[in-house]
Amino acid sequence: MINIKKLSKIFRTEEVETNALSEITLTINQGDFVSIMGPSGSGKSTLLNIIGLLDSASGGSYELLGQEMIGLKEQLKSKARKENIGFIFQNFNLIDELSVYDNIELPLIYNNVPSSDRKKKVGDIATILGISHRLKHYPQQLSGGQQQRVAVARALINNPAIILADEPTGNLDSKNGNEVMELLTDLHASGATILMVTHSDYDASFSQRTILMKDGMILSEKTNNRNVDVFAANLNN
Amino acid sequence: MLKNWTNIFIYHIRNNKFFTALNVLGLSIGIAGLIFSILYWNEEHSYDQWNPEKDKIFLVLNDLGGGNVWAVNSAISGPTLKTATSDLQEYCYFTTDYARETMQYNGKIEVVDKIFSAQGNFFSFFPFEFVKGSRKSALHDRNSIAISEQTASRLFKNENPMGKQVKYAEKLFVVRGIYRLNEKSSVMPAAVTTIIEEDLEKNKESWGFNYGLMLKLKRQSDTTAVIKKLNEIYVENNYKKQAKEEGITYEAYLKQYGEPTKALFLPFPGSRLVPGNFPFPEGNTNVRFLRILMGLSILILLLSIVNYINLATANAVKRAKEVGVRKIVGATKGQIIAQFVFETTLITLFSLLLALVIVELSLPFYNSLLNKNLILEGSQFYVQLIFIFIIVILVSGVFPAIYVSNFEPLKVLKGNFSRSKNGIWLRNGMLVLQFAIATFFIIGSFIVYQQVHYMANKDLGFKGAQVMDISFKPKKGKKQFERYKTIRQELLKIKGVEAVSAGVFSFGTNVNSWSGMHYKDDKEVITQQMAIDFGIFDVLGIKVIKGRDLSSQFASDTLSNVLLNETAAKTLMEKDPLNKEIVWGGRKLKVVGIVKDFNYFGLENRIAPMIFLHITSFEWMQKDLRNISVKIASQHMPETIAALDKFWKTKVDTEYPFEYNFVDKNFARTYKDYQNQSKLFSLLNCIVILIAVFGLFALASFSMERRLREIAIRKTLGADTNVLLQDLSKQYVIFCAIGFAVGIIPAYLLLQKWLEDFAFRIDIPVLPFLLALVLLMFLTLTIVLAKAYQVTKIDVLKYLKYE
Repeated sequence: MINIKKLSKIFRTEEVETNALSEITLTINQGDFVSIMGPSGSGKSTLLNIIGLLDSASGGSYELLGQEMIGLKEQLKSKARKENIGFIFQNFNLIDELSVYDNIELPLIYNNVPSSDRKKKVGDIATILGISHRLKHYPQQLSGGQQQRVAVARALINNPAIILADEPTGNLDSKNGNEVMELLTDLHASGATILMVTHSDYDASFSQRTILMKDGMILSEKTNNRNVDVFAANLNN
Repeated sequence: MLKNWTNIFIYHIRNNKFFTALNVLGLSIGIAGLIFSILYWNEEHSYDQWNPEKDKIFLVLNDLGGGNVWAVNSAISGPTLKTATSDLQEYCYFTTDYARETMQYNGKIEVVDKIFSAQGNFFSFFPFEFVKGSRKSALHDRNSIAISEQTASRLFKNENPMGKQVKYAEKLFVVRGIYRLNEKSSVMPAAVTTIIEEDLEKNKESWGFNYGLMLKLKRQSDTTAVIKKLNEIYVENNYKKQAKEEGITYEAYLKQYGEPTKALFLPFPGSRLVPGNFPFPEGNTNVRFLRILMGLSILILLLSIVNYINLATANAVKRAKEVGVRKIVGATKGQIIAQFVFETTLITLFSLLLALVIVELSLPFYNSLLNKNLILEGSQFYVQLIFIFIIVILVSGVFPAIYVSNFEPLKVLKGNFSRSKNGIWLRNGMLVLQFAIATFFIIGSFIVYQQVHYMANKDLGFKGAQVMDISFKPKKGKKQFERYKTIRQELLKIKGVEAVSAGVFSFGTNVNSWSGMHYKDDKEVITQQMAIDFGIFDVLGIKVIKGRDLSSQFASDTLSNVLLNETAAKTLMEKDPLNKEIVWGGRKLKVVGIVKDFNYFGLENRIAPMIFLHITSFEWMQKDLRNISVKIASQHMPETIAALDKFWKTKVDTEYPFEYNFVDKNFARTYKDYQNQSKLFSLLNCIVILIAVFGLFALASFSMERRLREIAIRKTLGADTNVLLQDLSKQYVIFCAIGFAVGIIPAYLLLQKWLEDFAFRIDIPVLPFLLALVLLMFLTLTIVLAKAYQVTKIDVLKYLKYE
C-alpha cells in the first residue's frame, strides 16, 4: 500500500541545514500494524508527517495506493489525505469550541457526505467506541482517555485506508493508554492498516513490526511476538 | 457545513462577549455614519427628479466679469429673444425670493410664507399635480392666484376655494387652481400669482437685472446658438445704445465699462448642485459641506473596517489550532476562507442592523443639525445599503480570511505559530493609519471649533444688541418713506425707545442691491447700495471715521451727498477721498464721509464696497424700505416691546402681525450653519476617538497575550514589572508618534483649504496639534499600560508548562 524509496527531508533555516531523513526505504502492506521507534530527534515524527501528506519531502519517492505523492500539488495532496488517511495525535487536537458530535462529524462534512448519512455514521462509530453518551459534551468535559477515543472516532469515521498515530498514549495514564492500545488492536484485527510512532516498548509490543530509527536512518526492523496473558487481561478489565 | 460554522461562531461570541460586542459596535458606528451621509446625499439629489420637463429647461445666468455671476436677468432679454430666434419654445420670468405676507379670506388673516410670483406659463415648467383646476387655467390672468393644498386648508378649511376671492398685497385675487406639492422641487410655493407681470411691464425698457429667467428650447442642442443670440441682444440693446447716448464709439465704451455681460445657460437638472448663485427661492445645496460630510463618513467607515481587520488577524492566533485541525481533517483553503468570510458576513449583518437602529434613533437630532427632514427609506437607499453591506464584507472579511487560511497545519498544531513578518507589518501599518485618522479628526474639529468661535465673537463693525429690526410692509396708495416719518415720531414717544431709523437693508438676510460706481475714468466698481435715513449709523453703532454723517441740517444730504465705506473709498485711489465726485445710478454724487468697514454678509465673504445715500435721493429706493430699526433700552425690555406691539397693531398695520428680530440674532444666522457643522464635526471626533481607542485596546490585548510565554520566561529570569511594562508599551508609543506625524500633514492641508473659503479667518494655530499629540499619547499610554500591568501579573507556571 505504501512504498517509500530513498526518501530524504532536509530542514533549512537561514544558516543551518539539518538532515531529518536520509534516504529512507520502507514498505507497508495492507493490514499491517507497524510501530516506528527511536530516540528524540531521530526523525520518526517527520517520517510520519510526510507519510500523512502533512509535510513534503526533499527527495526520493513515496507511493500511496499506487500514486506518487512527491511533487504533487498541495490541493491534490489534501484530497488524497482526506480520502485515505486518518490521524491520531498525542495531544488529541480536538476543536475545543465544538461538541464531540461536531468534532467527529467534521471529516464527513469536508468529504461532502450528505447530512442524513452523517448523523447515522457518527452515531454508529460513537457506539462502537463507547462514547455515544458524551456526544453533546465539549472536549474539556471529557477525560483524557475519552478525548483520545473521540479523536480515534474522528480518524476512523471516513473509513480511511491507513491510520497514522503519533504517540497516541503519550498524554494518558497507563489504564487509559492500555484501553487505546486495545482499541487499535481491535481495529487491526478487523483489517485496518496502522502506522504508529511511539516511545514506549510496551505500546510497540502491540504491533506486528517495529522499525527502529536513529539520526534520520532506519537502523533495524523486527517482528514482534506478543505474549498475551488472556486471563489477566480479562480480569483487569 | 453552515451549521458547523454557525456553531463555532456562536461559541466564540459567547466566550468573547465583550470583544464581539465592541467589534460589532465599532463597525455599526462606521456604517451608521455613512448612512447619515447617504441620506443627505440622496435627499439633495432628489430635488426635481419628478419633473418631466426638466431636461428641456435652462436657467439663464449672467457673467458680469470679475467672478460676478448673477442669477438674475432684465425684463428685456426674454421677449427680445423670442422675436429674435425660432429656437426658443417659451420663456418664463419669476421672482427669486419668496414673499412673506398676509392673505385674507372672509375676514380671516393668515401670514403665509413662500409666496411666489411668475408669469402665466409657470406651470408648464413645473407641472405640479392639480387637485382643482388645471395648469393651463390656473394663472390665466392678472387676478388669478393658485394656492397649494396646505394653504387652501389653512384659509378655507373645508370650503371649496375655487372662484373665491382672497386679499393679498392690498389686491383681490381669485383662486383658480389648487396644486399639490408632494415631491421636492427647487420651487415649492404656498401660493403663486402673476404680479411679476406689472414689474416686467414697468421695467420693459430697463436693463436692471432683477428676475429669474428660465427657457425651454425646441432642441437641446441649440444652446450655443441661443446664447450667442442673447449676447448679441445685450451688446445691441445695451452697450451700443449707451455708447450712442454718451456720444462715444462702441470701442471707447468697451474700454471704460469693460466687457459686456455674457449669458450662461445652466441646465435645470442638477442645477441645485452647482455652487454659485441660484435663481430659485428654495436655494441650492451647500455642495462643499455635502462633499466634506461624505468624505468624513467614508473615513470613519474606513477606520472601523481597519479596526475589524486588525482584530480579526490578531484574533486569528486563537483560531490557529482549529484551522490546523480542519485542514488535516480535509478542509481546502477555499473552505477555510469561506468559513471566515461567513463569520464576517454574520457580524456585518448584526452591525448593519444595529447601524439602522442607531440612525433611526439619532435622526431627529441629525435633522435639526442640518435643518432637513430626512427619513430612513427610499428604493435608491436600499440598493445603496446592500452595496455597502457587500463592500464592507469584502474589504474587512477577505483579508483576515486569507491570512487565516494560510496557516500550515503542522506548524500550528505543534504550537510553533511563528509570526510571519508580512502579517506583522501590515497590522502595525493599520494601527498607524488609525492613529493618523484620529489625529486628523482631533486637529480638525479643534480648528473648526476655533474658527466658529472666532466668527461668533468677532467685532463686526456694528452693534446689534438692543436693536430691533421690525417688518414694515408697504400699504397701497401711500409712500413708504412718508409713512415711516410719521411712525418714527410716534415711536420715539414710547417709553424705552432710544432711537429710530431705517435702512433699505437687513442684516442676516441676503437682501442686496448693486450698481456700478464710476470715478473719473477709472474702471467701474460694482458697489452695494445702502439707502439710509439719518441716524442709522448711531442706531447700529457704525463708525464714521472721516468727514461726516448725513444729517438733516444739510439739504443736499437728501439729494446728492453720499458716504462710502473704507473698501469703496480705496477704489478711488485718492489720498483724501472726501469731497470727490463720483457717478452712480446715472447721477453725480459727492462723497462727504467715510464709514468704517462692517460685515453685512457672513464672515466667509469679504466686505464689499458700499455706498450710503439717503432714501429719498433716488425716487425708486423707498419702495424697497421694508424694515424700521428701533434701538431700545436694556431695562424693561418686555414692557417696551409690548408697547411697540400695541402701537404697531393699531396705528401701523392692522393686518400683518408685529414681527421683529434683534439685529445681532439676525446676523448670528449667517454662521448658524457653521456652528451646526462644528457640532457635527465634534460629534464625529468623539466617535473616531472611541473607535481608535477601542481598536488600540483590543490589539494591544491580543498581541500581549501572544507574548505570554515570553513574558513568563522573562519573569522567571528575574525581570521586574517596570521593565516588562516598558518593554510591552514601547512599540505602541512609537506607532502613536508615527501615526501622529502622518496625520498632521493632511490635517494641515485640508484645513488650510477649508479656512481659505472664509474671508475672515483665524491663522492655523499650533495648539490643536499639540493637543492632539498629548491626547493621543495619554490615551495610548493609559490603555497599553493598563493592559500590560494586567499581563505582568500572570501565573508564570501556567505558561511555562505548556508545550
